[in-house]
Amino acid sequence: MSETTEALPTAVAPRTDATWLARPSIREAAWGIVFIGPWLIGLVLFTAGPMIVSLVMSLTNFDLVHPSAARFVGLDNYVRLAGDPSVIGSLIATIKFAVITIPLTMIASLGFALLLNHPKLLFKGPLRALVYMPVMIPLVASTLVWIGFLNTDTGWLNGILGALGLPRPDWINSQTWIYPALSIIGLWSIGNFMIINIAGLQSVPTELYEAARMDGAGAWTTFRRITIPLMSPVLLYNLVIVLIGTFQYFTQAYTMTNGRGDPNNATLFINLVLFREGFVFNHMGYAAAIAWLLFVIVLGLTLVLFAVARKRVYYAGGER
Amino acid sequence: MHGIRSGPRSLFSGLAIVAMVATACNSSVSPSSSSAPAASTVAVASATPAPAITPAPIDTDQPGPNGGVVIRWFVGLGAGGQPQQFAAEQAFVDKYNSSQKDVYISLEIYNNNVAANILKTQIAAGNAPDIIGPVGVEGLNLFRDQLLDLKPLIASSAFDMTKFDPGLRTFFDLGENGATIGVPFATYPSFLWYNKALFDEAKLPLPPTKVGEQYQGKTWDMAALRELAMKLTVDKNGNDATSPGFDASNIVQWGFDMQWADNSPLAESSLFGASSFVGTDNKTAQISDAMRAGEKWFNDGVWKDHFIPNANQINSDLLAKGNEFQSGNLAMDETHSWYSCCVNPAPPAKPIVKDFGWAITPSYNGKITAKLHADTFSLLKSTKHPDAAFKALATLASSGELLAAYGAFPADPALQGAFFDTVNAQYPNVKLNWDVPKAMLAYPDVPNHQAWVPDYAKSKAAWQKFQNNYRTTSGVDIDAQLDALKQTLQGIFDAASTSG
Repeated sequence: MSETTEALPTAVAPRTDATWLARPSIREAAWGIVFIGPWLIGLVLFTAGPMIVSLVMSLTNFDLVHPSAARFVGLDNYVRLAGDPSVIGSLIATIKFAVITIPLTMIASLGFALLLNHPKLLFKGPLRALVYMPVMIPLVASTLVWIGFLNTDTGWLNGILGALGLPRPDWINSQTWIYPALSIIGLWSIGNFMIINIAGLQSVPTELYEAARMDGAGAWTTFRRITIPLMSPVLLYNLVIVLIGTFQYFTQAYTMTNGRGDPNNATLFINLVLFREGFVFNHMGYAAAIAWLLFVIVLGLTLVLFAVARKRVYYAGGER
Repeated sequence: MHGIRSGPRSLFSGLAIVAMVATACNSSVSPSSSSAPAASTVAVASATPAPAITPAPIDTDQPGPNGGVVIRWFVGLGAGGQPQQFAAEQAFVDKYNSSQKDVYISLEIYNNNVAANILKTQIAAGNAPDIIGPVGVEGLNLFRDQLLDLKPLIASSAFDMTKFDPGLRTFFDLGENGATIGVPFATYPSFLWYNKALFDEAKLPLPPTKVGEQYQGKTWDMAALRELAMKLTVDKNGNDATSPGFDASNIVQWGFDMQWADNSPLAESSLFGASSFVGTDNKTAQISDAMRAGEKWFNDGVWKDHFIPNANQINSDLLAKGNEFQSGNLAMDETHSWYSCCVNPAPPAKPIVKDFGWAITPSYNGKITAKLHADTFSLLKSTKHPDAAFKALATLASSGELLAAYGAFPADPALQGAFFDTVNAQYPNVKLNWDVPKAMLAYPDVPNHQAWVPDYAKSKAAWQKFQNNYRTTSGVDIDAQLDALKQTLQGIFDAASTSG
C-alpha cells in the first residue's frame, strides 16, 4: 500500500466526494474494515449482541423455566446484589484467592522464564515443553488428578510431607488450606505466561546487559534495572490476563466441590455464584446482573492497572 | 495506475472475504432440518465409535416419516443417558415407529450432566419436547409446574393402573395440587448391601434377610447396625473399632455408609423415619425428630465411633474415590437396587467384591423405612398433542426392553421376572436374594426424601452444605447446625413464596 501512496499526485483539482473517497488513507481504512469484517460480524453477533441482551435481561426477573412470567423489574436485581450475602461472600472469597494466586503466578512464571532462558541451561527446548505441557491437559481432567494428589489420607503430597515429619494439611476441606491448594493447582499450568515471559526476555537487547556488566552491575542490579523495566509491557499484559482469569475462576472450583463452594463457601467464587443463580436456581435475570457486576469490577481493576502502567511501564517506542 | 492495480486486488480480496465469511458461517450452521428423518434421531455408533447424542432438529409441525404426529422424547434427566443404553432406546423407537402410523417418536438423548440445563433452555426458547424421562422425583421437582396432569389422559385412554402396587398408583401425584405427573415405570427399593468376605473374615453372621428376624439374639435395629459396623471397622494393625487399641487415624476398612446419597441429610436420616424440611402448609421450614436423631447417629458414626468414613476417606483410593462398596473396603452399604450397575468396576479392571448379599434395612423404634427411588415418564404442559404423547408414553412405560437396559426394577410385577434374570446374569457367582428388595418395597419413605420443597434447587444447596460440613469437620454441633439450616430454609421458602 505504501507504493500506492507514493504514486499519488500531491496537487489535484477541486476535490469531489469521489476523489475524497479515493484518498489512500480512507481507502486503507476501508479495506482494513473489510478485512476485519468477519471478526466484526462475530463480535456483534456473538459478543456485543449477547452483552446487550444480558444487560436487558438483568433488568427483568427472567427465569429459564418460566419465560412467560418474565417482567421488567428495573434496578431491583442490582439493589438485591448489594445486600446479597452470597454475592458479597463470593467477592471476598475471590479477592482472598486473588491476593494469593496472582503474585504467585506472576513470580513463578517469571522465575521459570528466567531459568529456562538462561544461556548456560542445557536442553532448553524439552524443558520448556515439559513446563508448558500441563496447559494442554483439559482442566477438568487435571483437577480430578489433583484431587487425588491432595487427598489428606492417601494423596502423594501428604505422603511426602508425612515422610518428612511435616504436618499433613487437609488441603481440600479446610478453609485455611483450600486457597493454597488451588494456587498450587494453578501453578501447574503457568506455561502460557512463562512462554510470553520468555519472548519478553529474548526481546531485551543484549548490548544493555553487556554495558551493565562493563559498568560493574551485578546480577540483581541487572535484573532490577534492565530486565524488569524492559519486560514491563509483557508483565503488564500477563498481569491483566491473570487478573481477569482469577475473577473468572470457575472450572477447578466447580469440579472440586460439585459447584457447592465447599468448604463453607470458601470456593464459592463470584463466577460460581453467577452460574448457580442462572443455571441451577434458574434466576437468569439476577445472574445477568451478577455478570455485569463482574464485568464492571474487572473493567475497573484493568483501568487502574493501565493508569498505574502509565508511570511504571516502559515502552521502547514511546508511551502507548 | 492505481485503478489498474487495485482492480484485480479488489476482486481477489472480495473473493477471499466471501470465502472467509462462508467458511466461518458454515462451521456454525446446524444440520439442515430438511435432512433425512433418520438423522434427526440418535445416531447409534456404527461407523464411528463415539455415538452422537445430540440430535438434529426435526420439524414437529409436519407428520413424521411414518405419517404420524411427531412426538419428541427427551432422555437424560435420569437413566438412559449412558452410551450402552442408546442402542436399546433407538431399537425401541425404531420398532415403535414402524409398528403403527399414528405417532412418530423423535428421540433426543443428552448427557445427564447437562440434560436439565438443556431442557431449561429449550423451555425458555419455546422449543420444549413432549415427553421427558425416565426421570426421578428430584428431576420432576425441577420442572414441577411445567408438567401436565395425566389424570384425564389416564382415564380417557383406560391406562391400567390396577396392575401396580396400591402404594405406587399415587406415588407420582407430586405435581401442583396433587397432579399426577407420571405413571409407575421403575422402582428402586433400598436395602442393606453387605460384602460377604468381610463378614467371613470377622467371623460374624450375616445380617437378616427377612423382616422381623433378629441378629445375634437382638432386634435388627439401628443400634444393632452400629454395633456390627464397629466390629467390621478395622485399622491397619487389624484392630476393630470396638477394641481399645484401635487406631482411628489409620483405618483401612469401614463398617457402614449410605453411599451416593447426594449429600442429602433427608436420605441419611430416612433410616430413622421419613421426613421433609417443609411442613404440610408447604411454607414452614421444619426439622423433624427423625432428622435430628439420624444426623447425630451419622455424625457420631464418622467422628466418634469411626465406622462411617469422612469425606476425605470417601474420596480416597481406599474407598475407590467415592464408589465405596466397590472398593472392597466397606462392609455394609444402604443403597438402592440401581447399584447393581456398579458393584464391579468397568472392564478391564477385575471385580474386587466377588461375593455380596442383600439384607433387610434395620428398624428404628420398631419401624423400618427403606427409602425409595422411582422413575417415570412425564409430559410437558406445552405439548401440542397430549393424546398422541400419552399414547407414546404408555408404551414407553410398559417396555420390558427399556427396563432391562436401564437396570430398573419394574413397577409392573408381570415384568419383574425378566429383570431378575438380567441382573442375575450380570453376577453369575453371586446368589441374589430377590425377596429382600421385594420386601423393602413395602416400607417406602413417605414423604419421599426427594419430595418437593419451595425453590427446590436452592433448598437442596443449603442442606447439602449442612451435610458436607459435618462429613468434613469434626466436632460439629448437629442441633445448632440443623437450627441454622432451618432458618436458612425458611428464608428460601419465604423468598420463593414472595416471588411465586
